[in-house]
Amino acid sequence: MNNIKETVLEVIYSILPIAIVITILQFTVIWLPMEAFVQFLIGVLFVGVGLTLFLLGVNVGLLPVGEMIGSALTKTKMIWVIVFFGFLLGAVVTFAEPDLRVLSSQIEDVSEGAIPQSILITSVAIGVGIFVALAMFRIVFNVPIIYLLGGGYALVFILAALAPNSFVPISFDAGGVTTGPLTVPFILALGVGVATVIRGKTASSDGFGLVGLASIGPILSVLILGVIYG
Amino acid sequence: MNLHIFEGFGSTMQEVAIALLPLAILFAVFHFVFLKLPPQRLIGITIGFLLAFLGLSLFLQGVHIGFMPFGEKMGNVLGGLSSKWLLIPIGFVIGFFAIYAEPAVAVMVEQAEKVSGGYIPEKLLLYTLSIGVGISVSLSMVRLIFGFSLWYFIIPGYIIAFVMARYVPKTFMTIAFDSGGVSTGPMTATFVLAMFTGIAGQIDGRDPLLDGFGMVAMVALAPILSVLTLGILYSRKEKSQYVSDGSRAEAHHYDR
Repeated sequence: MNNIKETVLEVIYSILPIAIVITILQFTVIWLPMEAFVQFLIGVLFVGVGLTLFLLGVNVGLLPVGEMIGSALTKTKMIWVIVFFGFLLGAVVTFAEPDLRVLSSQIEDVSEGAIPQSILITSVAIGVGIFVALAMFRIVFNVPIIYLLGGGYALVFILAALAPNSFVPISFDAGGVTTGPLTVPFILALGVGVATVIRGKTASSDGFGLVGLASIGPILSVLILGVIYG
Repeated sequence: MNLHIFEGFGSTMQEVAIALLPLAILFAVFHFVFLKLPPQRLIGITIGFLLAFLGLSLFLQGVHIGFMPFGEKMGNVLGGLSSKWLLIPIGFVIGFFAIYAEPAVAVMVEQAEKVSGGYIPEKLLLYTLSIGVGISVSLSMVRLIFGFSLWYFIIPGYIIAFVMARYVPKTFMTIAFDSGGVSTGPMTATFVLAMFTGIAGQIDGRDPLLDGFGMVAMVALAPILSVLTLGILYSRKEKSQYVSDGSRAEAHHYDR
């Protein structure tokens, strides 16, 4: 029960400020019709109730599952199993991300239909998969994350110089968008699970960095498509 | 009054279900092969998945019927203002508070506090992210008004990030790069983006779609820099503590 009360309070603190800011703007600067404002307030209510249920669900569902899968994988002590499942997880989760579909239709727009949706979605999913697999590899062999991040972004900027200009902002957008609200808790917990088994509770902060690495994959994929099709 | 409250709710639920399905299947596979959890845990986790499904569907519906259309209309009005400089502080405030309502951010800051054993307090990390995103949205407004290229922000931004990364504790570095991906969730990518494209549509010579993408790219960069800055402040504090501990130990030594 305590948990529920805490979550409700947390959600009120997180939704109320933006709702107040918009209400103030409404009655000082923008003065939109009342109908639109009422609809906005209903939206705020939905967002509040939704976020409360979501956070409760994440805490009893997604986080423990991610952590359990992470530690079960690591206990197999087979590096190829860990890396393979890292790839599979990253790719499958991305494939299912609703934002990616929105993005792919926008890209079809910008590229004037040169890049078909299916190719884009597949390549972004493979991009995320490769980087999650790399991240698993890194946790197991204790490779400093800065090498992977540095190498990844160096490649990003080289490709960005080669790709047509309109692709650059979209590619960075892809990096942010593909790590949505379901992917993040799951991947975070997965990394923490793997790191905890390998190096004990104290080093479990090694589990962070997965989301950051996973964001590079889509940037590279979109840029590569840009170089090919542009 | 003509309100559209449940318009498109079915397809939103379908999207969330599709996104959640692979995770559920994967869990089922792991359960039967490796974990073999007791039924009680299994029921708990199933309830968790259902809550997450329902919650995210409602959240997205609220964003689609409430925040997004209002954001776009707001943007149209704001873009038509005669004093354009007002957009810069408004952008900061909206960015600052919108990130509060981002679901993945709430999960990450909580995990960061838990995993670091309280070393990085939840609220402090949240404020750091908020400042970063606030600055990035207001800089995007500057870019929109004056038409600077995205490159002038992105390249120096990442170079500075990699230089700073050398001077912060490892935990901060990984959390910093994670927060870039975490900050660009459904609140930013729909509400703030809708407002932004609304404004861009009102200013001559701007391409709403491309400038909008550019804003998301900035939102992905700024929290990296702000969390790294927090890390540098932290490591300084630690060093000065270490020094004062050291001198105290020395004084102790001389006492004997």
